Amino acid sequence: MNIEMVPIEIMGLKTDLHTIIHTLRNLGCVQIDDLSDSPEVSARPLTLDRSILHHQEELSFLSAKIGGLLDTFGCKPIKGTYQLPEDYLTEAQRNLEMLLPKVQQLTNQREKLSGELASLPRYETTLRKLLPIMPLSARQPGNVSIGVLVSRVHVGVLDSVGKRVLDLTGGRAQVVASDIDASTRAMLIVFPAEFTAEVEALLGREDVSRLRLPEELGDGPPDLVLASVHRRMTSIPKEIEEINRTLAGLATEWCERLIIWRDALNDEIDANSVLTRFGETDLTFILVGWVPARDFETMQSSLIDITGEAVLVQRLTLTPELKQRAPVVLQNPKPARPFESLVELLSLPSYGHIDPTRLMALFLPFFFGIMLGDIGYGILLLGICLFMLRRIKRGVMRDVVTVLAMGSVWGILFGFIYGEAFGTLGEHFGLQPIWFSRTSSEYVASLMLMTLIIGAVHITLGLILGVWEALKSKSRGHLLERGGMLIGLISLFFIVGVLTDYLPQGFMTPAIAGVILGIVFLGASLGWLGILMGPIEFIGLIGNVLSYLRLAAIGLASVYLAKVANDVAGLFGSVVVGVIIATLIHALNLVLAAFSPTIHSLRLHYVEFFRKFYEGGGRQYQPFKHQNLTGD
Amino acid sequence: MEAGLAAIGAGLAIGLAAIGTGLAQARIGSAGAGVIAEKPEALGTIILLVAIPETMVILGFAVAAMVLLLGG
Repeated sequence: MNIEMVPIEIMGLKTDLHTIIHTLRNLGCVQIDDLSDSPEVSARPLTLDRSILHHQEELSFLSAKIGGLLDTFGCKPIKGTYQLPEDYLTEAQRNLEMLLPKVQQLTNQREKLSGELASLPRYETTLRKLLPIMPLSARQPGNVSIGVLVSRVHVGVLDSVGKRVLDLTGGRAQVVASDIDASTRAMLIVFPAEFTAEVEALLGREDVSRLRLPEELGDGPPDLVLASVHRRMTSIPKEIEEINRTLAGLATEWCERLIIWRDALNDEIDANSVLTRFGETDLTFILVGWVPARDFETMQSSLIDITGEAVLVQRLTLTPELKQRAPVVLQNPKPARPFESLVELLSLPSYGHIDPTRLMALFLPFFFGIMLGDIGYGILLLGICLFMLRRIKRGVMRDVVTVLAMGSVWGILFGFIYGEAFGTLGEHFGLQPIWFSRTSSEYVASLMLMTLIIGAVHITLGLILGVWEALKSKSRGHLLERGGMLIGLISLFFIVGVLTDYLPQGFMTPAIAGVILGIVFLGASLGWLGILMGPIEFIGLIGNVLSYLRLAAIGLASVYLAKVANDVAGLFGSVVVGVIIATLIHALNLVLAAFSPTIHSLRLHYVEFFRKFYEGGGRQYQPFKHQNLTGD
Repeated sequence: MEAGLAAIGAGLAIGLAAIGTGLAQARIGSAGAGVIAEKPEALGTIILLVAIPETMVILGFAVAAMVLLLGG
């Protein structure tokens, strides 16, 4: 069921605005709607003053900075509730001023080192090529070596440069060249240090690119530089590791505080952003929203106490238009709560309409059990589910696993009814069915009949709920449609009863009349098209009941696959091979047994059951409250 | 002979229905996957749409079972 909500309007003095926002946020029970979406209250939208906007901007900037630091540190969410210091904003600003430059310097250094490490193999390749052609003079003190790289297309430039260097130095230079790769040729010029300026000027004039190595590698001959490259290739990863260690130390020291500040800032930003939904007059502000009926009195008295009665909190009349916009809170007993996720998967129920969660909690595991119906698979599946439940603490996944666990229990029960454990394996150990065995062809008809009866009961229940909904919402169309279906279906049961000799022949005529009446009502709900569509819809309704045959079909498929696994195992000469093959097929069957019945049970609810009464499209209740400060 | 023909008939009833369901689900499924990529909250509706053609194969199963149990 969904709980009663009250539409409210709160009007207060602008001087009390922040006090009231603070109180509402602490109460955490009021959903604040946009005033512009509420035509029943007229006021101009609240204009935020410059100081609020400036403050909001500051908070966002600070939050972004903290976000950046959290990303750099790779902080993980912290479990538990935080104790937030009162002057956290000043503390955060002061510490960030100190921490940010330090972290930036470390990350810049790490980036630079990573870039250098990535480029070193390229230098290494070039230097290795130059090494064999390096003249002995390169090692002599007082000589300078310059490497030059030229595209092989312009290889003529190298010859010209070489000659001019020789002329410039009076033949005291040595020039050697070699191909680096398919497109590049390198030249090494060795010359006395006093000609450095002239040679560099010449290279500049000729627009020849020098092989420029990072400063850390020095400016010596290629063999010394290559040794330097190797040293750097070993030392850089260590330096990066050292930086990472320092950052990890900072992360350990600061992560918790940063997360606290970030959450508090976001909370503050969120609190201020809600102001855009408010309205105002010259001296007052107005907000509209929803509060659960049970919390109205508490909320009202809290606001009156905090403002000294300078606030007006009033209930708005719940008009049909307002009712359509009412937020929905589902409230179900604990065992049914996991099924709320499955209902929401389709759509939240509309406010004031039937919440089918409890009915789903009753029928869905039961349907699952009918299909699974195996003690062995049931116990295995239950074990897996219980194990997963210890790992998964919350979320939709936990709900699905809980539902699966409930279904497994029903599966074990039906396993005793059908006398199945890993298909036909139980029979070999003397397991006998309480009612009937699905593997026996003479009982297939019983199984199908059982599922059809279950389907008929489920659909009839859906139609009764549909008629109740139609009466409650005074919808003539829905009443005719669902009422017609209900009358027609019940009459059809009577016809079947007469045909199978469970009822006397005297019931036949009124039952046929009932079916015709039902089709007429059904057709009448569809207007002129009803003449044609009425009978088609009624046939569709019979199809809905027949659809429950899947409870038998899926179960039979599962039990025959298990039988195949057991029979195949016997065909192999080796016991070990047979057991391995059987285990693999049983494992496949177990996966199918977990997946298929869940999907088909869901489908029976969504398509066959819900469509008889369910009104979806509800709006989720989102109260204005402190953000979740548990860190997850 | 009659039992054999009944078995073939049952096979055709469920097999052809399964092909029909498969074709329908293939089209709905591919379109549905596109919708979920754009709008993950539509998952429930897509499951519902994909599941609708399955009724065909269930009816095929019902016919096959009747052929085998009553006619075979």
